[in-house]
Amino acid sequence: MEKKILTSRHTGDSCIMVKHSSGLTIFICEMPGFSGVDALFGTKYGSVNTMFRTAADSGYTTVPEGIAHFLEHKLFENEECGVFELFAKTGAMCNAFTSFDKTCYLFSCSKNYEENLEILLDFVQKPFFTEENVEKEMGIIGQEIMMTNDNPEWRVFFNMMENMYHSHPVKTDITGTVMSIQDIDAPLLYKCYDTFYNLNNMVLSIAGNINAEKVLEICDKCLKPCADNGLETVFPEEPEEIVSPEVCETMPVGASIFHIGYKCAPGDGIERLKRTSAACIALSLITDPAMPMYDRLLKEEVINSTFCGEVFYGSGYFSLIFSGESDDPKRVRDSINAETARLISEGIREKDFQRIKKSAYGMMIRELNNVEAVSNLMLNAYMDNVGPYDAIDVLYELTSSDVTDFLRNEMHTDRCVLSVIEKEA
Amino acid sequence: MIYQRSCIGNGAGFTSVIDEKFKSRSLSVFFITELRPETAALNNLAVSVLTNSNSRYRSYAAFSEKLSELYGAMLSSTTRKKSDSQILGVRASWLDNKYAIDGEDISGEMRELIKDCIFAPDAADGEFSEESFAISKKELLDRIDCELNDKHSYALMQASKLAFRGEPAATASYGNRETALAADPRSTFLAYQELLKTARIEIYYVSPEKDDSFADMFRECFAGMERAPIDLHFYCPSPLKPEPETISEEFDVNQCKMVMSFKTDTQDKYALKMASIIYGELPISKLFANVREKMSLCYYCSSNSSFVKGTLSVDIGVDRCNIEKAKNEILAQLEEIKNGNITDEETDGAIMALDNAVQQCGDTPSSYISWYFDCFCDNDFITPEEHFARFRSVTKERIIAAAKSLKLDSIYIMLNKEVHD
Repeated sequence: MEKKILTSRHTGDSCIMVKHSSGLTIFICEMPGFSGVDALFGTKYGSVNTMFRTAADSGYTTVPEGIAHFLEHKLFENEECGVFELFAKTGAMCNAFTSFDKTCYLFSCSKNYEENLEILLDFVQKPFFTEENVEKEMGIIGQEIMMTNDNPEWRVFFNMMENMYHSHPVKTDITGTVMSIQDIDAPLLYKCYDTFYNLNNMVLSIAGNINAEKVLEICDKCLKPCADNGLETVFPEEPEEIVSPEVCETMPVGASIFHIGYKCAPGDGIERLKRTSAACIALSLITDPAMPMYDRLLKEEVINSTFCGEVFYGSGYFSLIFSGESDDPKRVRDSINAETARLISEGIREKDFQRIKKSAYGMMIRELNNVEAVSNLMLNAYMDNVGPYDAIDVLYELTSSDVTDFLRNEMHTDRCVLSVIEKEA
Repeated sequence: MIYQRSCIGNGAGFTSVIDEKFKSRSLSVFFITELRPETAALNNLAVSVLTNSNSRYRSYAAFSEKLSELYGAMLSSTTRKKSDSQILGVRASWLDNKYAIDGEDISGEMRELIKDCIFAPDAADGEFSEESFAISKKELLDRIDCELNDKHSYALMQASKLAFRGEPAATASYGNRETALAADPRSTFLAYQELLKTARIEIYYVSPEKDDSFADMFRECFAGMERAPIDLHFYCPSPLKPEPETISEEFDVNQCKMVMSFKTDTQDKYALKMASIIYGELPISKLFANVREKMSLCYYCSSNSSFVKGTLSVDIGVDRCNIEKAKNEILAQLEEIKNGNITDEETDGAIMALDNAVQQCGDTPSSYISWYFDCFCDNDFITPEEHFARFRSVTKERIIAAAKSLKLDSIYIMLNKEVHD
């Protein structure tokens, strides 16, 4: 077992990182003064991992869309009872989520964290899939899919992704479709489970009112050692170009909404973190109410305070997304393109850069105030192949030239997709 | 943790919480007034303008620039309703001074900024500045237009309008389109003056160390102010309709939504909450276990109760062809509780979940603020432990009695246009 203490040189915050003998990576952050405990047990397995093989496989396996999410639902049922019933005995709040590149199981509690941790580690390591319980879940997930299809924010995002990516599975809905989940059965779920729920591909992140030694003692007791299975996930070749620059759908909404996405080069690890940091500052500059573009569009009633940006990335994809409500989204897109060109040609004012940087720093420090945020920070660091406090260090080192370089090299107008959900006439 | 509440003016209280574990400071100012259709939008606009600008930073751009200079300090307005009251808030949070890279006095600057927002807003000659007002007005109109975007919250809102028809609580917390459209900088400023005069004002400040400067600032500012605060009445139970009413609307949606509203005259608020938890607030509750897990009818089916309005509502997303089946099962599960079919696991699970939630009070500045504000609204200043003890003392008989007091009042259904039975 390898154990390291990671400390932020800027805030003094620290956590423990352990490479457990079982293969699992464990992050522990003791937070004196807090009552709650948040724990996440996650795997690098999400909706984009539809094609894979292990060292033991002769060829690649391709699975139906939505299977990672389906598996997450089914893991909540073990042979004796539902997992919710186990946590109900301790009072913990438990949940799970599946995103594009990860699936996580979590609990939040203020008492009995030791017992809760044992339940969490135990049920995630004990799959129980049968034809009957898979069939039963079809109706529930079918309703979840219908619900998300009625969500305009969800639709505007996926319409944009479908027009940005030619073949990368990030363009498909995390939950799959009512049709695609019909192809899921118990043997296929076991195949995915055995491939991705290998402890060498997983992380436990726990923060709050805990004792690190006790956490490790429970891990020693509950984790079943497993050999690295030589997992390899592959993605279809994805060109740099987008599919189509504009897409519009009509839905029953009260106001039109838009997503404007810029397809950028994918990356990984610390290199991607540096680009993410530059991208975040670039987004903040463009969506900053103090900057002329925002001020002008706000006064002309083209945007409102919902206008914002986010960096969206994972295995094989990276994009910048602007979103909001507007009756004239093309004008918003054109304004973003013009503002980007202006920032590249005139350069970023150092005063603005330092102000935005300070703002980003302030938000990062405030995150460390919160047990849930800290457990997520450590989990995401593992998923991104970086350290939990690397983002603060990278931000410290960031210069305005890094941001200008990012704008120049990554925000190409010909790789921009405008997606709009329009209200019915 | 150190807690202290003091009176800083007529009908104005200041609560200070010191907890050294935090790296940030938070302040919330709540104006509590009557929820009325004719003033709700004006009040909402007023607090919105307060957080867009002030007399020193007279544009949204300048105001935002100042906040980002202060390490991304947050200052925003909120509006919500509790029973028949409207609660308008100005919320702020900022990084503690010890984390300022260049040694800035972030707290001192925020104190001045907040002081100007509340006591010296961007107004002259009895009206708010046109520019700040216009931004807030568009925000509010857009928010009202967007009500339909989120189908789940739209269904809940329509159900609330139906259940509370003719009562203040039928009004959205932020008002309606007609009054928002009619509002102008003068009427909005007047509404703000009225809030300053008549609203109950409760202020909460959470900091990692003792700091009286905010309480002193508010005390000084309220000292010269003529105040005539209203009496607060949060307990306003909604009358039961003579016959249950159903209203449906059709939209081009995939999934139908149904919200069932029940009314109660119970005086046992702890038993009502326990009944609601056992019925449908947890993943082990009867609705989740039966309507979702056993019958596979839905992704979500849950309940929520309000003692002060005497209501319990159940909401579900379901296929059109399963609406009747779901409705029957929802009613059947309530009958189960009324008939005393409650297991020890269910009551223990509810108690454990409450204990878990209560114990985490104090883990975030906002949880402290919520806790002490709820104590104020209930006029019952108790510790989380005392609160939990009251739940613990609820017997099965009291839960059954609370469930038996529930009567179906109304049903709102959002129907799918595509399928016709």
